[in-house]
Amino acid sequence: MQRSPALKRLSPNPRSGISPEDFEREALSQLSALLAVAGRLTRNSSEAEDLVQDTFVKAMRARQQFEPGTNMRAWLLRILTNTFINRYRRGGLERSVIEGPDADPLADGWIGSATLEAMRDPESRALRPMLAAEINRALDSIPEEFRVVVVLADVEEMSYREIADMLGCPIGTVMSRLHRGRRLLKSRLYEHARAMGIIGPEPIVGEPEAAAEAAPIDMLSWRSKKAASQ
Amino acid sequence: MSACRHLQPLLETFVDGELAAEKVVEVEQHLVDCTLCTSRVRLNEAVRLSTRQAVRSAAVPSAAFEQRLRAAFAAEREREIQAEEFLREPRGALPWRTIVPVAAAAAVTMAWAASTNESRGAHPNQDYAAANAMPLSPTANVDQLIEEFVNYHANSPAPEVTEPTLIQKLEPEVGMPVRLPSLSQYGARWEGASVVPVRNQRDQRAASLRYRVDGHRVTLYVYNSARYPLRATLEPRVVHNLPIYVGTRRGYSIAAQESRGVGYAIATDLDDRESAEIVASIH
Repeated sequence: MQRSPALKRLSPNPRSGISPEDFEREALSQLSALLAVAGRLTRNSSEAEDLVQDTFVKAMRARQQFEPGTNMRAWLLRILTNTFINRYRRGGLERSVIEGPDADPLADGWIGSATLEAMRDPESRALRPMLAAEINRALDSIPEEFRVVVVLADVEEMSYREIADMLGCPIGTVMSRLHRGRRLLKSRLYEHARAMGIIGPEPIVGEPEAAAEAAPIDMLSWRSKKAASQ
Repeated sequence: MSACRHLQPLLETFVDGELAAEKVVEVEQHLVDCTLCTSRVRLNEAVRLSTRQAVRSAAVPSAAFEQRLRAAFAAEREREIQAEEFLREPRGALPWRTIVPVAAAAAVTMAWAASTNESRGAHPNQDYAAANAMPLSPTANVDQLIEEFVNYHANSPAPEVTEPTLIQKLEPEVGMPVRLPSLSQYGARWEGASVVPVRNQRDQRAASLRYRVDGHRVTLYVYNSARYPLRATLEPRVVHNLPIYVGTRRGYSIAAQESRGVGYAIATDLDDRESAEIVASIH
């Protein structure tokens, strides 16, 4: 039976939009980026590979929904993130936000400005040459709720709105998770920087007046530490 | 210094480039005078940049992985071609016409009506439009089979066979090799086997093997996956390097492994990760 053009359009075949060859090539060109994100989300290289493979197969099946000319990477990343959340977090991302290491105020002890400055590499815009492995380890150590948003914001440079849409939560939640995640990350990196001798053994509080304003609660312990060292 | 207290909470948003324009001006003016906030901003930028570099540098796809992905793409395209051929089968043989039950969803019923009403001779293309516009057409019988697997699992009668050595007697009825996976690594206890008729397809049957795992009932089906590719509607997943197809229906999880025309599917109230794991262990 001969199909009319109108019927061809109605029919799911032949497939419209991007060809499988073009799709495959474009998807594979994003492999490193996707694997990077998957690696930090799953914290395990073989799980990361499985997650990327699932993502590619799902994307291939849904490729008519992809509009050629738009951002393939962002589209793949959305599928990857959703797959990760659905598979690994059946209970959603809301759980251990209250409990967990973040509830411990000591995890974010006051770090003085000179100390902060010392962690930065004056020659570049980056941190002092900390090994990438250390930074990845520090990321892996922070709870998933926070890790996911830090990876999406800082690695994929997504906007708060894009992250909120992807995770299906309000922008305010994205901001607070991002803040907590980075705070934890910084405190882990700070510990590492001290261990490596990049910064001194005692936090140096550059401007006590400002420090008091920024961290009034912690000033008590700072004073007692200072008194003990004298 | 009260500017610090006021502006410090905004610094992170400022670094992210998400601060409202009028606040950006305020922060920038403050940064001119405040070395502490300037160093906070610089540290935030440095952490961002280093994180990005570190995460990206950690991911170098191996040649083997890239190979695996190419194979996965090839398999997916093969599946698509099969599905398209399925669609092109002569109309009289379209399985959905015979397998879709009368009380199916409205869309299906409408397509049914379009294909059986008297306008058929006058507007041959209309039939085709109905068949093609119906999104279920290549997968309706697969969905039906999944439904039957879940139903049978939920209300399974006493098994016909409880003697492991008699399992192979099911083969002529099922038309597939039927083996009894022990699933002992999951502490599974086999309870018996039966032949499950596939509704409206007198010549099609699947074997069901019933297990109990940790107090949960697990029904393993052996079926013709060339005729009923469950992979056409379930969600693909990789478990132990094997492609596994997973879904949930009415609170039960379904996981299938299909190779060389033989499919193994599990229906259970265990969660989908567990059922995918179990079905992936079958060789």
